[in-house]
Amino acid sequence: MSQMLKTHLYDEHVKLGAKIVPFAGWDMPVQYSSVKDEVLAVRSKVGVFDVSHMGEFFVEGQDAEKFVDHLVTNDILSAPVGKAIYSPLCRENGTVIDDLIVYKLAPGRVMICVNASNIEKDFSWMKSKHHGYDCSLTNLSSIFSLLALQGPESFKILKSIIPQLPDLEYYSVFESAGGQQPIIIARTGYTGEDGFEIFGHHQTIKDMWKKLMELGVTPCGLAARDVLRLEVCYPLYGHELNDDLNPFDAGLGWTVKLNKTNFIGNLELNKKLSKHKLIKLLLDKGIPREGYPVMNSLGEKIGEVTSGTMSVVLNKGVCLARIEIDKVPTDEVFSIDIRNKLYPAQILKKPFVTGGHK
Amino acid sequence: MATQIPGNLKYTKEHEWALVEGDTVTVGITDFAQSALGDIVFVEVPEVGSDLKIGSTFGVVESIKSVSDLYSPVSGEVLAKNNDVEGSPEKINQDAYGSWLIKVKMNNTSETQNLLTAEQYQEFCNSSH
Repeated sequence: MSQMLKTHLYDEHVKLGAKIVPFAGWDMPVQYSSVKDEVLAVRSKVGVFDVSHMGEFFVEGQDAEKFVDHLVTNDILSAPVGKAIYSPLCRENGTVIDDLIVYKLAPGRVMICVNASNIEKDFSWMKSKHHGYDCSLTNLSSIFSLLALQGPESFKILKSIIPQLPDLEYYSVFESAGGQQPIIIARTGYTGEDGFEIFGHHQTIKDMWKKLMELGVTPCGLAARDVLRLEVCYPLYGHELNDDLNPFDAGLGWTVKLNKTNFIGNLELNKKLSKHKLIKLLLDKGIPREGYPVMNSLGEKIGEVTSGTMSVVLNKGVCLARIEIDKVPTDEVFSIDIRNKLYPAQILKKPFVTGGHK
Repeated sequence: MATQIPGNLKYTKEHEWALVEGDTVTVGITDFAQSALGDIVFVEVPEVGSDLKIGSTFGVVESIKSVSDLYSPVSGEVLAKNNDVEGSPEKINQDAYGSWLIKVKMNNTSETQNLLTAEQYQEFCNSSH
């Protein structure tokens, strides 16, 4: 294995006593104090995550929006400048290469934020589709750091550091002008709470991190991030999504805009065929984990847990599970096989926890 | 990582502690183990009367994000299990040596000779991280 990458905040994490684990080729903080305290800080106050391992691509030129709209399944063209749009990136056969967020920074200037583990795969795919568009495509992942400031007090805290920060709408983005180092601030996140993602050059972000620590913001690791996203049922690539699934398999039909004129995968996705259904299960007892079998009332295996955890807010086991589409039981009776013992599980229509985002 | 290792207990390389009293052994997980696991949220141990084999798994402890097997330090029959800790697993984080999991009646008391002393366990913890 090659040398692990470190974010520019690595030394700060070590100083704070973080437990460091390898993730997608990076040495990342998984927890600082306690996963529970970090989750609760984000749900009730404010926490900050170093997610600098994620990738940033820039598309610039007169065809920028047109090119990105062709690449992804969601509608980029009709969204106004200043909006952020979540979307899968699909192949012609409809399978998902990655899920990402597109930020419309200015006319002819678009940023795309992608999963760390998929940076190379996404970039070479986009490059291969770039021909004929009058715009540049650049991978600036190595010059950008990224913080996610999340929780109900995020706006108050960030405004105290950046007085000119506008009260952005949810899923909107703001790029600071002027002669300073560029800073891009979006009201987005992966926790279900109000919050901001702050993209900037390494020193800018390092200074910001230190200020947030001085202001008493709780540093949070990848473990808390995973619990938070799972409590509000956000998918994670490599778990709910992968190279063999289409967006419908992961409950992301709402991100596929079939009325768009033309985009990669539209012919196949137009059939709306899915082999799987992603469901939400809540357990009274037992903690579901990835790979555990999901059973019907006859004790037959009908699917698998894709992500599972103990919910900190509910103090109960929760999971997302992928069920074979022709085996979804009409009686809605489910159980999960945990170490050869069946634990009853209740199917929910809504996420386990309702985040407080705008 | 500073961690307590009481001198009156025996230990396994899987981070269980064992209090040996005649042919009865009380079993729990060490302070090192609870600290490495983080917030413990679930404990599963066998029913009274179950047979255990030395070195084989007899239950699990789960933190929010992970599952860890428990390994039996000796062979024998489960005499008692700690329902308090099953009901409030966070007690293990608060006091690992005060939160026993099971008591076992040994088949063969000589098996305790294979367990680590406090000194050996300390050395093992120092060298394993």
